[in-house]
Amino acid sequence: MRCRRHGGLTANTRVRVAVYIAASALYVLGILVWGLKMPESAYGVDYSMKLMAPGAGHIFGTDFMGRDMLCRCVKGLSTSISIAALAAGVSSVIALAAGIAAAVSGGKTDSFINWCIDLCMGIPHLILLILISFMLGRGTTGVTVAVALTHWPELARVVRAEVLQIRSAPYVQAAYKMGRTKGQVAWGHMIPHVLPVWMVGVVLLFPHAIMHEASITFLGFGLPAEEPAIGVILSESMQYISTGKWWLALFPGLLLLAAVMLFDVIGENLKKLMDPGSAQE
Amino acid sequence: MKRKIASILLCLAIYGLAACGAPAGQAGERAEGGAAEDSIICYVGHTFWDSSLDPVKGAFSYGWGFTNNALLKVQPDSSYVGDLADSWEISEDARTYTFKLKEGISFHDGSAFTAEDVVFTYETVKEEQGNNEKVDLSRMSAIEAVDEHTVRITLSEPYSPFLDATAALGIVPKSSYDSRAFDEMPIGTGPWKAVQYDPGQQLIVEANEGYYDGAAKIRRVTFVNMDNEAAFSNARSGQMDIVMVQPAYAAEEIKGMHIEKLETMDVRNISLPCRPEQTMENARGEAVEVGNSATSDIAVREALNIGIDREQIIEDAFNGVGMPAYGFTSNLEWGNAPVMEDKRAEEAKKILEEAGWTDEDGDGVREKSGVRCAFEVYTPSDEKDRYQLAVATAQSAKELGIEITVKETTWDEITKASYRAGVVWGFGQFDPSVLHQLFSSDTFLTTEYGNTAGYENAQVDALMGEALLTDDHGEAVAKWKEAQEIYANDIPYLYLVNIEHCYLIKDNVDISVETQIPHPHGHGLPIICNMKDWTIR
Repeated sequence: MRCRRHGGLTANTRVRVAVYIAASALYVLGILVWGLKMPESAYGVDYSMKLMAPGAGHIFGTDFMGRDMLCRCVKGLSTSISIAALAAGVSSVIALAAGIAAAVSGGKTDSFINWCIDLCMGIPHLILLILISFMLGRGTTGVTVAVALTHWPELARVVRAEVLQIRSAPYVQAAYKMGRTKGQVAWGHMIPHVLPVWMVGVVLLFPHAIMHEASITFLGFGLPAEEPAIGVILSESMQYISTGKWWLALFPGLLLLAAVMLFDVIGENLKKLMDPGSAQE
Repeated sequence: MKRKIASILLCLAIYGLAACGAPAGQAGERAEGGAAEDSIICYVGHTFWDSSLDPVKGAFSYGWGFTNNALLKVQPDSSYVGDLADSWEISEDARTYTFKLKEGISFHDGSAFTAEDVVFTYETVKEEQGNNEKVDLSRMSAIEAVDEHTVRITLSEPYSPFLDATAALGIVPKSSYDSRAFDEMPIGTGPWKAVQYDPGQQLIVEANEGYYDGAAKIRRVTFVNMDNEAAFSNARSGQMDIVMVQPAYAAEEIKGMHIEKLETMDVRNISLPCRPEQTMENARGEAVEVGNSATSDIAVREALNIGIDREQIIEDAFNGVGMPAYGFTSNLEWGNAPVMEDKRAEEAKKILEEAGWTDEDGDGVREKSGVRCAFEVYTPSDEKDRYQLAVATAQSAKELGIEITVKETTWDEITKASYRAGVVWGFGQFDPSVLHQLFSSDTFLTTEYGNTAGYENAQVDALMGEALLTDDHGEAVAKWKEAQEIYANDIPYLYLVNIEHCYLIKDNVDISVETQIPHPHGHGLPIICNMKDWTIR
């Protein structure tokens, strides 16, 4: 039961998918913009409001320094999204270049790129992140570079496989026969072909990048504690959970989870739009 | 869908990571016999597992006996009395120390304690000084056993804090010393015998029946290793007798337990670089950025010292646990803090204005000829309480128009920045040589953590030099006190709080607060200083 009508989506599904994407994008962009525009005073220290439970005025409660948790979480999540955006940008360019180069050139280049991919994927991702971040002196630079440089292998593999598929297609062969260089073929035929898959891949990179940034920050190898970051907030909350300050961990966790899952929704639905064949899977 | 599940799992994993911070061997599995009536289970931090238990390598160098005893010990009033030594004499040239030892004392293994054991211990430490950073014997030139119960130590130069070292070094038996075995199961003359050591999990000690000063009343103590949060949860479920807790938990109520806030000699302060901004060379010839445009002005340091509200800071940062401090504590024989009052914001503002610091652009921070009255303060990322102290101080300083930006990072980074920015320090030890480390112009840029403020005062240097060289303990104390009086006017360090160590204690356990000595730096272990006197009601 592959498809109902000409292999495409019904108009209804198409609308629903578009609505999903729009709503998710709105949430994520909203958090990003809200966080970027937020002044530091919004989550400033106010000791008279220490450890207030969620309620009017502070719907997410306040922490042990009387900082508003909603603002801290939004600011933190927006930092995470910015880092993830940079990571997705860098990683996807590396992935596209490496994937196409490997498939088009073949031979030694292919082996070398495959070897690089295996190397990166052979080390547990979190360990690799910690190593890179630690080497660069932790902090914002460390975590950003680490997250940016480690998310390309999976996508590179996908791109390579896609290109391999069409390498022997008649129109590509014809292009070669007509004297096109490898570079011209890659630019003119390969990239347009892999672009849809690649774009979905980029969006699906986001949740991983966000989670990884939060994880290594939580473990103390990422953003410094004076910056609002989800990882910092969660690790601070650990000290207070056993004394019943549940809101310090619950809300930041939920916000993070929501952001991660909505990116997933965007990615999965984009896939449906661009590759209708997979819609009924 | 797979991805969705994966991301949920990853999210849960973050919580999981935190929740199972406690290693194996939780208090849940009580040691054999641990539930008996005359035994207790304690959590006092990680010191037992972080370093060796061998006194030769610096273990228990606090001035009180645990598994081993030193020649002297510290009293609750921070003066020294003989422990293994009966009496001692210092020669007039301040270079020869003669200790008369107590007789009839034996080690846990039954062998008799003699002068040979003292000579052996001191010589071993001196030979392997690199393994022991707690007890400095570099000035000891010779040690000999005059007879079976007399030891004579000769120094290469007069050095009055040497006496502190003799209270810090536990004596090990010459006949059975084994460097490797002693890391986990040291043999000594002390009130406690190590009977079981599980690396990273637990240490069990039993009372030494033959202890020369009377055996302990509690028979058996189990120290468990876990993290602070797990220990607190275990206390709540009634499985622990003593639990070290952070000030954040001080207000929590647990049935059957009470909070004990114990006096310490640990003072927290922020260094205030005294020199103008410049580049200097350190002992290794590297260029170092030193000095700070704001704090190099005595008016700024003075305004901070009198203008901030220490009590409010303690309330904000530590839930009110701790006492305002203006210098080294009076529970130290040599401690001499100025008597003064803070929270004089108006006076502080006047001082700043007279010195030319005014807020022209209305951003709440004063300026003086284009320089903002602002500086950074660094705190180590593994100590949340210092971060909170710095933030609370910054809040208090904000009202004076002084901006403090708090940074949290590793000690490596802090050391680099310490010459041009403030650092939250914690100092507390019996040995007055810490004053020399912090205020001598010699230690600036030559000693790590030493005088990072770049303070220089010839009079203070001279007084401290004299204090180090004298043979008379009273004279040394007087000189140390005088030096503190002088530097107090220059405020190279902004003293904030004399912290208190919090512990949750089972209501039926009496930790004999009156015989506790003031705790030195390092929350956790010092509570066991008088464990011999503890009782279970």
